[in-house]
Amino acid sequence: MTATNSAADSQDVIVIENLNKWYGNFHVLRDINLHVKKGERIVICGPSGSGKSTTIRCINRLEEFQEGSLVVDGVEMIEDVKNIEKIRRDVGMVFQHFNLFPHLTILENLTLGPIWVQKKPKAEAEEIAMKYLERVKIPDQADKYPGQLSGGQQQRVAIARSLCMNPNIMLFDEPTSALDPEMIKEVLDVMVELAEEGMTMICVTHEMGFAKKVADRVIFMDAGQIVEENEPNEFFNNPQNERTKLFLSQILGH
Amino acid sequence: MKEFQPIAARPAPIKTVGFTAWLRDNLFSTIPNAVVTLSVIALLAYYLPLIFDWAFWSANFTGTTEDACVKEGACWVFINAWSYQFFYGTYPVEEVWRINLTLVLLVMVIAASFTLPKSIRLKASITSWLLLPVVGIAILDGRLLGLEVVSTDLWGGFTLNVFMAAASIIVAFPFSFLWALGRRSEMPFIRSVSVIFIEFFRGVPVLSLFFMGSVMLPLFFAEGTNVDKLIRVWLVLIFFMSGYMAEVFRGGFQAVPSGQYEAADSIGLSYWQKILLIILPQVIKVSMPNILATFVMLFKNTTFLLIIGIPEVVQTLQTALSNSYWLGGHALEGYLFVFLVFWGSCFSMSVLARRIERQMNTDKRD
Repeated sequence: MTATNSAADSQDVIVIENLNKWYGNFHVLRDINLHVKKGERIVICGPSGSGKSTTIRCINRLEEFQEGSLVVDGVEMIEDVKNIEKIRRDVGMVFQHFNLFPHLTILENLTLGPIWVQKKPKAEAEEIAMKYLERVKIPDQADKYPGQLSGGQQQRVAIARSLCMNPNIMLFDEPTSALDPEMIKEVLDVMVELAEEGMTMICVTHEMGFAKKVADRVIFMDAGQIVEENEPNEFFNNPQNERTKLFLSQILGH
Repeated sequence: MKEFQPIAARPAPIKTVGFTAWLRDNLFSTIPNAVVTLSVIALLAYYLPLIFDWAFWSANFTGTTEDACVKEGACWVFINAWSYQFFYGTYPVEEVWRINLTLVLLVMVIAASFTLPKSIRLKASITSWLLLPVVGIAILDGRLLGLEVVSTDLWGGFTLNVFMAAASIIVAFPFSFLWALGRRSEMPFIRSVSVIFIEFFRGVPVLSLFFMGSVMLPLFFAEGTNVDKLIRVWLVLIFFMSGYMAEVFRGGFQAVPSGQYEAADSIGLSYWQKILLIILPQVIKVSMPNILATFVMLFKNTTFLLIIGIPEVVQTLQTALSNSYWLGGHALEGYLFVFLVFWGSCFSMSVLARRIERQMNTDKRD
């Protein structure tokens, strides 16, 4: 364990300082600084290719970075497999394309982590899984396979799968972008509920209604850097940066 | 406000379903098609009776010697008289139960892989598959079990083809998976070794590999050691098969979306948990048709063993054809028999594989 940066608040669960990342010669993340407090809900938006997803994927080390420091739950992310696996246990992630395991039933998808990573007995893991399936309101689908569920149901299963690991932090990577319009609400409802229970959340999303409703802070990114961050009211009604204004007018203007 | 009224489903128009519609669509859709259909029917009408006459009505079924073949049709007496050798080679008659027992074990392991309760199926079937070659060799050879030792010189016939193919694929399966993983590895040494291995065994004809196994390989062993010829050939088949299957698996790996790796990483699975629990089952599922194709190829390639003098079924057939009591020219019956035995086995494997594919297909909504 490495002590968190002295400048950071002791309540911060994620501290990102001067994060820089390159894909080959392409500079994708440029001097990212972000502190997230426990229980804080953060929405990241921005045009595609702006580095939103890459940023949150650095947090559970699905992406590596070359410069800067990233401390999650007091553990500094360095080239150390033990730390990475510890972080991955504490940080849940929900993907745009759900990424459920198609060869396993819903219940098996949910119990895989608790059984193999947390070494829980099968019965206990199934109990936990059913608890979270009930929370996302699809306990009756437990024995089906992911391919038999609708997109919205699959995404709720994916959220439940992350919750089964009892994470401190949840990362959402465009969780509603691949869904039919009619299914977006059922997923957002689950996310709102989670936010109200005090989960620390970072969501990459363009659901501005969701941002207004639950976010403590909205971050706008473009060209690999954070352009603007503010609490939602200020962010939407009084953007400080021209680029933010343009973006908001594009996505809210129709 | 208007209420949304769904329209009730109606049956399809009669013209598009049923037997006559099928005939019209598939056999008589155009004039050239109709001509082809009619000529095929005419050809069948002419040749089928001739074939049936040769194979059944004018054929000789009973008897034990060539003299019994008096009618002009096929002499099935030849097959009958040699059937023991065709199936079991020169394995002693009083010990032949050991071959049958091994076959039964093979069938039981296959059946167990489908019918065991799901909770223990994976562990039980993997264990029994891996034990099978060891147990099979112990039974056939007899040394370890205190049975009478049957030298491998006496093993032969179609069961040898089956055993060689089965024993090779069982051992090659895990190896080829490792080679495929190695080829995808980010470590340059592991990757180049894998690429060289795979490309070598894919790029060399299997016949030359058999010669290497039987002639060259002994030169590498220490003087005085004598590794059994069948074991040398077994090694060759394993290497050959794993080179091919590694490429099959590589295709399977490429078909698994990167999101599966990320999801497995994000819940904290270790590398081997991720590979074995998440990736491998999906790789096997997409590779199933090609795994079967590769296995069928290997199975048929076991007939090449006759080149290096191993008495598998075709070699046994040639011995029978040159036997001085059976010089009446029974090659047609003999090869037809080999043809049918192989075709029957390969076809049943296809049926089996299709069943496995159906079982693994979890995409369909019900």
